[in-house]
Amino acid sequence: MQVFLQTFIGGMSLGAIYALVALGFSLVFRTMGLVNFSHGNVVMIGAYLASTFYLSTKLPFALAMALAIGGTGLIGVIIERVLRPLENKDFDLMLIGTIGFGIVLEAVAIIIWGATGNAVPNPVPTGPLEVLGLRIRTYDLVVLAIAAAAAVLLVFFLQSTKRGAAMQAVAMDHEAATAVGIHVGRSNAIAFMLGAGLAALAGGLVGPLLYVNPTMGGALGIKGFAAAILGGFGSIPGAIVGGFAIGVLDAFTAGHFQGYSELVTFLVFTVIIMIRPTGIFGERTVNRA
Amino acid sequence: MFSSLRRHAAVMLLGLALPVALAACSAPGGDQGDTNKTDGPIKIALVDAQSGQLSSLGAWELKGARLAIDEWNAAGGINGRQIELGVFDDQGDPTVGTNLARKIASEGYIAMIGTAESAVTIAMAPILRESKIPNITSGQSPGLVAVKSPFLFLNGPTSVTYDETLAKYIVDGKGLKNIAMITNNGGYGKGEHDAFTKSLQARGVKPIEDQVVTADQKDFSAALTTIRQKNPQVIFIGAEEVQSGLIVKQARDLGITVPFAGAAPQGTPVFADTAGTANVEGTIVSSPYLSNEVSEASKKFAAAYKAKFNEDAEMHGAKAYDGTQILLNALKTSNVATGQALADAIRATKYAGLLGDFAFDDTGVGIFATRIGTIQAGKLVAAG
Repeated sequence: MQVFLQTFIGGMSLGAIYALVALGFSLVFRTMGLVNFSHGNVVMIGAYLASTFYLSTKLPFALAMALAIGGTGLIGVIIERVLRPLENKDFDLMLIGTIGFGIVLEAVAIIIWGATGNAVPNPVPTGPLEVLGLRIRTYDLVVLAIAAAAAVLLVFFLQSTKRGAAMQAVAMDHEAATAVGIHVGRSNAIAFMLGAGLAALAGGLVGPLLYVNPTMGGALGIKGFAAAILGGFGSIPGAIVGGFAIGVLDAFTAGHFQGYSELVTFLVFTVIIMIRPTGIFGERTVNRA
Repeated sequence: MFSSLRRHAAVMLLGLALPVALAACSAPGGDQGDTNKTDGPIKIALVDAQSGQLSSLGAWELKGARLAIDEWNAAGGINGRQIELGVFDDQGDPTVGTNLARKIASEGYIAMIGTAESAVTIAMAPILRESKIPNITSGQSPGLVAVKSPFLFLNGPTSVTYDETLAKYIVDGKGLKNIAMITNNGGYGKGEHDAFTKSLQARGVKPIEDQVVTADQKDFSAALTTIRQKNPQVIFIGAEEVQSGLIVKQARDLGITVPFAGAAPQGTPVFADTAGTANVEGTIVSSPYLSNEVSEASKKFAAAYKAKFNEDAEMHGAKAYDGTQILLNALKTSNVATGQALADAIRATKYAGLLGDFAFDDTGVGIFATRIGTIQAGKLVAAG
């Protein structure tokens, strides 16, 4: 029982990270119908920016995170701006464009920070809490709280603000949205910016849990992408549930199947997707391209 | 809608396959260049991960090899010829490695330094053997010896030696019998797992827990909680630097206080930084190169390394330095031979290096001893 619960707790904190990554994937997808394959690399850039501000300029962790989110959001805007001429013309090229951006970001990170990477010390120095023989890291609680807050803010933005409503409208029918005076390009830019900001949040938070290096985006991107698919691609609650599901699933397969855990995780994922091709929250709101 | 979705899927697949295809294209076939030139620079290839999670190893290796070659070049080279070091990035990936093996063969390199990753070296070995290019690797997996290539040499001991020394210290010396193991299923971790289990078996000790993780696993809660419940006296760890660091960090968070024991990666600064300095206190390390202060030669090496690269030398740099020195000595004694003659010359080279006295046997291993150190106050010091 203790192993079961401890495994669950371990899966939850990485699950929160996957959920944030999945949110970024889903947000861009529901707005533009585009899978942003550079998203994992944007996570990595966010992790580097946050850790650089935190470690070399000795800023408080929260401020370093805020700066990283801002900086990375800007990168999101730039990616969208470069890809914009392709919007509504050739979607496949746009998709390949995002892959290209991913490769560029990784190369730029190696040029700026070197290939070696660095460890980020825990910004919450208090020891783990002991509850009924279980050990809960205080930093994990911080990660969960911030992820929850980010998700709530995002939902609020999409449902209760004018700009958010405009983005929803673009997602449903971009031609009709244009007709009523919504700027589709700007809406897309906001989606990319928010997606990149979420990626930076995930990257910044995961830094102290893992090790920041230029290739860290690969594994996080794939798990986050799987989480988004599992929850229902484009669905906001789906991304959150999918993230936690992948994190916890991963933790349990690691315990039971050891060296074959990765294989089992993705087998289970495949079976679920075969049974429910549209994911857990199976809405298909997006029909573009 | 469905046809467009299918088109999308096809493009996504194409996108995922693209980097692989590009990497494959960069291999210009296996034809061998003219390796018997007698003028111009002597071309030596260094193949190591210069990007990716194993790039710290590659960076250290490159520095060690570069230092040795620059010293020889400053002293006039070999037979009046300068030595040219070509650097190739294998990304820690065996597929990239095999492509690079063909590339260095076709570009006329006569010998290769690296790689630091056993799996990559094993993948490259058949091509290098075919092309008759001697290779001095920094890998330590027993799998390297199993390849039985007369062109493959190790610049350090194999896992068998590391883990036998470690088991001797822990079981025979300290009398610890409750030992748990956590290893990864990659090339290095698998070798460590098998070698240490064998050494324990020889002493009639069975590990009380044997957890295997994948090479890119990040969360070890399940494995570590299981280990904690068995109350081991010491935990053997067989994984690369970063992953070992993450395992130790998470173990301490889960309330595991017993020391960890392992081989070379546990003696590196990357391991200590990832885990946190306080968490690695007491770690038992089996290594042929404990610190820069062990001998006059190592002090001299460390000073030169510091002067050149402005950072402290460590074991991987020292290993690569030794390996490169052996290669250059063999080139000198053989009058810049190539192919089989160069391999024979390397095998015949007796060299007093930073790691100890090298004398190669038929398996390509030249050194059969490591020492035990423990991490105290953040520094690796000799034990006992």
